[in-house]
Amino acid sequence: MPKARDVVYYLFHVQELRNIIQWKVWHNPVHERDESKETPSLKRCFHYLDMTSRSFSAVIKELNPELLVPVCLFYLILRGLDTIEDDMTIPLAEKEPLLRKFDQILEKDGWTFTGNGPNEKDRDLLVEFNVVVEEFKKVKPAYKDIIRDITKKMGDGMADYANNAEHNVNGVNTVKDYELYCHYVAGLVGEGLTRLFVEGKLANPALLERPELMESMGQFLQQVNIIRDIREDLDDGRRFWPKEIWSKHVDKFEDLFKPENEEKALNCSAEMVLTALRRADECLFYLAGLRDQSVFNFCAIPQAMAIATLELCFRNKTMFQRNIKITKGQACRLMLDSTQNLQVLCGVFKDYARRIHKQNNPRDPNFLEISIACGKIEQFIESIFPSQTPTERVVPADQQAMTPEQKAKAKKEAEEAKWDIIYMGLAVLLVLGTISGFMIFVAWMAGARFDIAFSSLTNKISATLPSPSAAGHNEL
Amino acid sequence: MQRLLSEEIVNPQQRKRSTLGNVCVVGGCGFLGHHIVRVLLEQFPDTRIFVLDLRTESNRNSSPQVSYHAQDITDTAKISELFQQFKLDVVIHTASPVPTLPKKLLYKVNVEGTKALLQAAQETGVKAFVYTSSASVICDPETGLINADERYPMVLGDAQSEYYTSTKGYAEIAVTEANRKTPGFFTCALRPAGIFGEGDRQNVSALVKAYRERSINFQVGDNQNLFDFTYVGNLAHAHILAATALMATHEMMPTVPLDTEKVDGEAFFITNDEPVYFWDYARASWRECGPVPPPHKVWVLPKGLAYVIATILETILGLFGKQPNLTRQRVNYLAMTRYYNITKAKTRLGYRPIVPLQEGIKRGVAHALAEEEKAAGKKG
Repeated sequence: MPKARDVVYYLFHVQELRNIIQWKVWHNPVHERDESKETPSLKRCFHYLDMTSRSFSAVIKELNPELLVPVCLFYLILRGLDTIEDDMTIPLAEKEPLLRKFDQILEKDGWTFTGNGPNEKDRDLLVEFNVVVEEFKKVKPAYKDIIRDITKKMGDGMADYANNAEHNVNGVNTVKDYELYCHYVAGLVGEGLTRLFVEGKLANPALLERPELMESMGQFLQQVNIIRDIREDLDDGRRFWPKEIWSKHVDKFEDLFKPENEEKALNCSAEMVLTALRRADECLFYLAGLRDQSVFNFCAIPQAMAIATLELCFRNKTMFQRNIKITKGQACRLMLDSTQNLQVLCGVFKDYARRIHKQNNPRDPNFLEISIACGKIEQFIESIFPSQTPTERVVPADQQAMTPEQKAKAKKEAEEAKWDIIYMGLAVLLVLGTISGFMIFVAWMAGARFDIAFSSLTNKISATLPSPSAAGHNEL
Repeated sequence: MQRLLSEEIVNPQQRKRSTLGNVCVVGGCGFLGHHIVRVLLEQFPDTRIFVLDLRTESNRNSSPQVSYHAQDITDTAKISELFQQFKLDVVIHTASPVPTLPKKLLYKVNVEGTKALLQAAQETGVKAFVYTSSASVICDPETGLINADERYPMVLGDAQSEYYTSTKGYAEIAVTEANRKTPGFFTCALRPAGIFGEGDRQNVSALVKAYRERSINFQVGDNQNLFDFTYVGNLAHAHILAATALMATHEMMPTVPLDTEKVDGEAFFITNDEPVYFWDYARASWRECGPVPPPHKVWVLPKGLAYVIATILETILGLFGKQPNLTRQRVNYLAMTRYYNITKAKTRLGYRPIVPLQEGIKRGVAHALAEEEKAAGKKG
């Protein structure tokens, strides 16, 4: 049952309610998984997908059948890795080898793990991880190699962070560290997925030659999550906002949450938003390289949600007090718009870039940089979908760039052209006159009384007009 | 970000050389011209520079490499004589009168002056001729420009509401048409948009004036219109890149460059490559002058309403022979989108803006405020 608060909200936001209905009624998945052909262990895998992912499970399940299972397993494997890394009840001595050797674990028949603390939310996945291992065996070798490779890289990255005491106590230091962290947890996923798409011939291989594009896809999503989750992370004792940024605005990280520092905190969050926003054009560029509708949807939906979330967080003080989220109605609108084509999605990006720009405050130290970043998004969109072309603006011949000499010549030509038109007009009049005259003549020959018609017409006119003498008198 | 021009740029290939030869900077005491002299000396310290200008008292460079010559550029015979004497390799023509001067004078200096310089350059064996045109040559009074590039047709003559722009366009045509007219003579034109920086008399100083007059609480239009600006130092750098490219074309004779690499006979848009919402540029400048109001305290005048007000003001003040601050032309301009795609300059000239917009604004406004203080000091 919907909550009473939601009902009231949608009563006043009918447009958003309409979005939800539209999405539920009209969205047709490009592909649907065929449960009848699935083995029991694969069914369990999809069960865990639903359980562990709120946002990704729906888009994964609509993927092209070629990649449906590999991507689902890829997700579950990384989720398993993450569940080990996240769990502070596992001692480091036990954790580190698990993380570093997780790629080998994928080959161990019947491997399960029960060492997670009872409160770890996805511990069940690892308890029954044998189903993932079982299904992973059946995946095409080329896909397996990619998944194994990324698992190894990510496991190593996570192990390095787990070992890094500095990081655990003080959080992220520089912007470079911050981006490196995002690279391990999201950039690598982008790399793995891109390689899977290209291997499955569902994306342009050129995407692999521009690694900064897939990196930006992951960075954009991860950075937006880090920005939005500031409060939740603080309450859990984690901090991901780099010191290099927050120290420009406040002395201590905790000061961001004090009401007296509201303006400083907003400027700080704006700088975080700016860092993410600069990735947006590369995300759109990446999406242009996708060849399959289901893959496009899979990639575009999270990106659209991210830019909307960024706009929600921009200069929004509530995010320091509690968790904020875009509304369901907004989310449905975004899903409708990001499951069509790149042009529609570009419209979404442009719209949100402008909304961000509109709230930009000239007292913010990064005011101009934010404005430029929004402008860059608009300019990039114009470069792929121009709304104006040079030919649309072709100036009439007599007004084009001309020296005065050329102009005199053009003027002479125009003069001649003018006489041509006059002659043409005269000819037309002559023809019309002849025909009318002929018709009147025929009518007269047939006995038409033009004199009666004329006098009745003048009578009618004089009856409708006021008498001229009265009017003249009034005027005096 | 506070690095100086000289420290940052100049790709290593250019560095091998320390001179561009004998260079004449026409208009070298002007706002843009004196920056060109400065950057040229930074990048090619052994270049011999001859500055031609109507008056040579202001903006002088103290380097012994530079000599100053007061000369009216419409005097063809005198120009030829000087060029002969200088034995020039490069002419950078950046002289232009104030747009508000009478039409006849604008035509004389911009069109006839440029033609005189071209002729003298051709006669005296100049190799490279770079002309400062204007991005406005493709602007018309009604339609905006969205990511416009060099394929856009010029808008001159009757279609062009600004006579000044027409004369710049005619001069540009004369320059690009003169390319290769005599063997070994190469030309190109740069079309900058919204030049600003230290010493400018139009852009920054107008904004500082607006700040003093408290016009900062108003906004005409919805501020969704992107606009391009160019920091003068970046534009000076672009001129030197263009001259270098033309000299390289001269050196590779008789080989002709590929169409996709050609610089000679071409025009290039030059901007800071950071299109920004018009009013944001103004506010970014204003906040360098002092406190600025937050967005919710700004009066937003919709374009249509502003247009009506401007019409009324113009009519009433027009009766007294005066012009209001808010004119219809201004309203149009303030709410118009005008930004460019400078890919051509990036790929063919290797141009990159060296000084970002933010830094350029800082420098420009700081300079204008210092000037203001100096002037106040003199008065007091």
